[in-house]
Amino acid sequence: MNVAELRAKPSWRSVKSHLMTGLMGLALLVVLAPLVSVLWSISSRGLGIVTSAFPAFFTAEIPQISRAAGPGMGPAIVGTLMVTLGATLVAVPLGVLGAIYLHEYGRAGKFARLVRFMATVMTGVPSIVMGLFVYVMWTLRFGYSAFGGSLALACLMLPIVIASTEQMLRLVPDHLREAAYALGTTKSRTILTVVLPAALPGIVSGSLLAVARAAGETAPLLFALGLGATAYNAHFFDGINTALSQQIFVNATSSFAGAQERAWGAALTLVVLAFSFSVVARVFVHARRR
Amino acid sequence: MNRLAVALVVFAGCGGKAATDTVTVNASGSTFQKAFQEVAIVKFTKAHPGVQVNYGGGGSGKGRKDLADGVVAFAGADSPYKDAELTAAKGGAVLYFPILLGAITVAYDVPGVDKLQLAPETVAKIFQRDITKWNDPLIVADNPGATLPDLGIVVAHRSDGSGTTDNFTKYLAKAASSVWKLKSGSTVEWSPDTQAGNGNGGVAQIVKSTKGAIGYVDLSDAKASGLAYAAIKNATGAFVVPTAASASAAGDGIAVDDKLLFSALDAPGAAAYPITCQSWVIVYANQADAKTGQAIADYVKFLVTDAQAELTALDFAPLPKSLQDKAIAQLAQLKVGK
Amino acid sequence: MIDAAALRGRRDRADRSFRGLAIGAAATVLLVLGLIAVTMTARARTVIGELGVSFFTSSRWSPADGLYGALPFVWGTLYTAVIALVIAVPVSLGVALFITEVAPRALKRWLIYAIDLLAVVPSVVFGLWGVLVLSTVLPRSFLAAGVVLAIMIIPIITSLAREVLETTPVADKEAALALGATRWEMIGASVIPHSKGGIVGAVMLGLGRAMGETIAAALVIGSATGQITLDALAPGNSMPAVIANSWGEADTLQRSALIALAVLLFAMTIVVNLIATTIVQRSMRRARGTV
Repeated sequence: MNVAELRAKPSWRSVKSHLMTGLMGLALLVVLAPLVSVLWSISSRGLGIVTSAFPAFFTAEIPQISRAAGPGMGPAIVGTLMVTLGATLVAVPLGVLGAIYLHEYGRAGKFARLVRFMATVMTGVPSIVMGLFVYVMWTLRFGYSAFGGSLALACLMLPIVIASTEQMLRLVPDHLREAAYALGTTKSRTILTVVLPAALPGIVSGSLLAVARAAGETAPLLFALGLGATAYNAHFFDGINTALSQQIFVNATSSFAGAQERAWGAALTLVVLAFSFSVVARVFVHARRR
Repeated sequence: MNRLAVALVVFAGCGGKAATDTVTVNASGSTFQKAFQEVAIVKFTKAHPGVQVNYGGGGSGKGRKDLADGVVAFAGADSPYKDAELTAAKGGAVLYFPILLGAITVAYDVPGVDKLQLAPETVAKIFQRDITKWNDPLIVADNPGATLPDLGIVVAHRSDGSGTTDNFTKYLAKAASSVWKLKSGSTVEWSPDTQAGNGNGGVAQIVKSTKGAIGYVDLSDAKASGLAYAAIKNATGAFVVPTAASASAAGDGIAVDDKLLFSALDAPGAAAYPITCQSWVIVYANQADAKTGQAIADYVKFLVTDAQAELTALDFAPLPKSLQDKAIAQLAQLKVGK
Repeated sequence: MIDAAALRGRRDRADRSFRGLAIGAAATVLLVLGLIAVTMTARARTVIGELGVSFFTSSRWSPADGLYGALPFVWGTLYTAVIALVIAVPVSLGVALFITEVAPRALKRWLIYAIDLLAVVPSVVFGLWGVLVLSTVLPRSFLAAGVVLAIMIIPIITSLAREVLETTPVADKEAALALGATRWEMIGASVIPHSKGGIVGAVMLGLGRAMGETIAAALVIGSATGQITLDALAPGNSMPAVIANSWGEADTLQRSALIALAVLLFAMTIVVNLIATTIVQRSMRRARGTV
């Protein structure tokens, strides 16, 4: 047998290889099928209500009569933005400062290692546990409010922000720091004026990804916001509030066509919101690379 | 720039004004009466623009618990407090205001079956899984002449503590006492191979989306969800379809105690739908905060008077005249700002 | 007049207070975890004191009788997570291998982007899809919950596995191909052995995520009480789902029981995550060592 004959005759080995390649392609289809089905459902069923009642779907209050058809989701959109913004204001400064400690001060010290380890542990805490925790610590004392939801989401975001920020600080070359020290700059000033600006795009993108995740969380909000809010509530620290994810959950268990329509519309809004956060995050990553 | 600043100040001013003038009344509880509450709130806030009422649902159990914890200003409930629960209530004595009567339907989804009749014993056996097929001889016996498919029964019940569950199981314990083994209460120990949904809507959704499903859902929600429901054999032996009128018939001549507590279940009349239940709002008798207290008192008064006219359109039955008079008389016991 | 010493003193103070601020921020992690452990365990003790070990061993959950047995919920959590893994692991590995070994460069970027997109879809949206679309073909059950959980953990496992697979040294792969190996044999001979540890870690992280996921499971699992069965088409319940569904109306003892469930869930997910993190870190370190 010469080489040409070997090539010409497809052996079991090459058939098997092609077969496995085919299976990999099949796996890809298996993944893409639900993605397509989900995106198709939310766009086909969500776009209906969003466009037929535009822009009322985004601005009108939620119907108090849940079996009624029609818009809107205004208070839930505002609620999601409020709760997420609040969580960001709590978690990002804390997380960035914590990461600064870990990378610029603690390094491989005992305390820094402990915090790093515990941050990993914290990433694994189920969101419903965070929700219960905030209910016990905050809501039972101070009542329902958007802020309670922010606290729960902030607990979920904190370890993610710490981890991604530390990663970014690690990428800042040491010669930048050394140059600043050589000019007599103090450590804190070096960090604030040299290290942070260098790492900023990465930090922003990491935080935005954490925000995108937090915006879609439902379980922690179930306990903190209270049920039944249909009107706008601009008071951050007071009174029941609502969010898109909560509205989807509540309306998903409804048997009324109108309510289910609103759930799809809310899902479309929430997915677009989460996607735009992650797209913006990506833009920042590219900005950093450039 | 200047104009923006002015706009901001005006905006802030509006926010502040709204905050001081609006009274917010939060409530939670029975999903049985939720449809009525939703309509009543819309009508009430039109006449009282300074009051915002939020009714969160969540089940009677949640409503009673929230009221006892002082988290809400009033609760909707289909069954009253147990004495032990009441001693833990933060705000002292409570008043029960009956607001409506309504039928609990036995809703089902069986292809090709648009009429179904069930005796209480059959219902009991279905819900405790003694009967697991739609063509079981017992169901056939209740439906002479009907063709029933060889289809497995999927039982759907409530996952949350519910006054609807409480009344439904109380009914079975009373009307099918020889058969029913699961006791009664706002939660009971269902067989593991049954499904549960949150609220009347959750059960309705399971029934609607599952072939062969059966569940108990209030008439108002069942009708609005487009479910089919069974005629149930009442105490006189007649199969009665749940309607606002047959629920109303169950309310004729009910015995009511001085706290306005009563039960319309398994009522004696020939036209009475047997699984008819009642729903109350529960409020604290002493409302310390004058503003909120007045808003609550106004709203409760509205529920037992003008709002009664809204009930029939929602497939509920209004209170019988004698009961309504007692409820109105009880308003005097609601002390505001003292 | 400010002299140099005073200036340095002020600068030192600023420096020290910034450091203190940073330490404080880092310590919040410990504070929150400590508070969770202390407050939650304290509240869980009520039910453990009342029922003892039977909380962990009993399969009866009947609030009306004051009976709380966690077993069916633990079973449901583990069973749905295992179903999710059985579906997600082969699919994720297939996709990860496709992306790293098969896909042309241009397609590769888009695939990575699509997987990332899947990861951003909120779980409640999958829940909505599960309850209104999937349930028309697959009724609420352990299997339905497993399928939805699988869809949710596939992006996590895929992207981690892809990162690990990409650390395989090109020299190793070329060596296998030079010896006449087919693509699949090359994967089996050099890519998989090199990445085994990292893949196991990725799977464990997916498991941890599946166990803690609440909303999607709560919507499609069927909320049956006391169900312990291998029948994947039977309705069941999981720990996070029962907490979400029955917290509202629970009395003191039941709330304690639900918090005890949360503590148990917390402990289970942490164990799984710690094992996962250790494996991932070790294999990443080894991978970097060989490059």
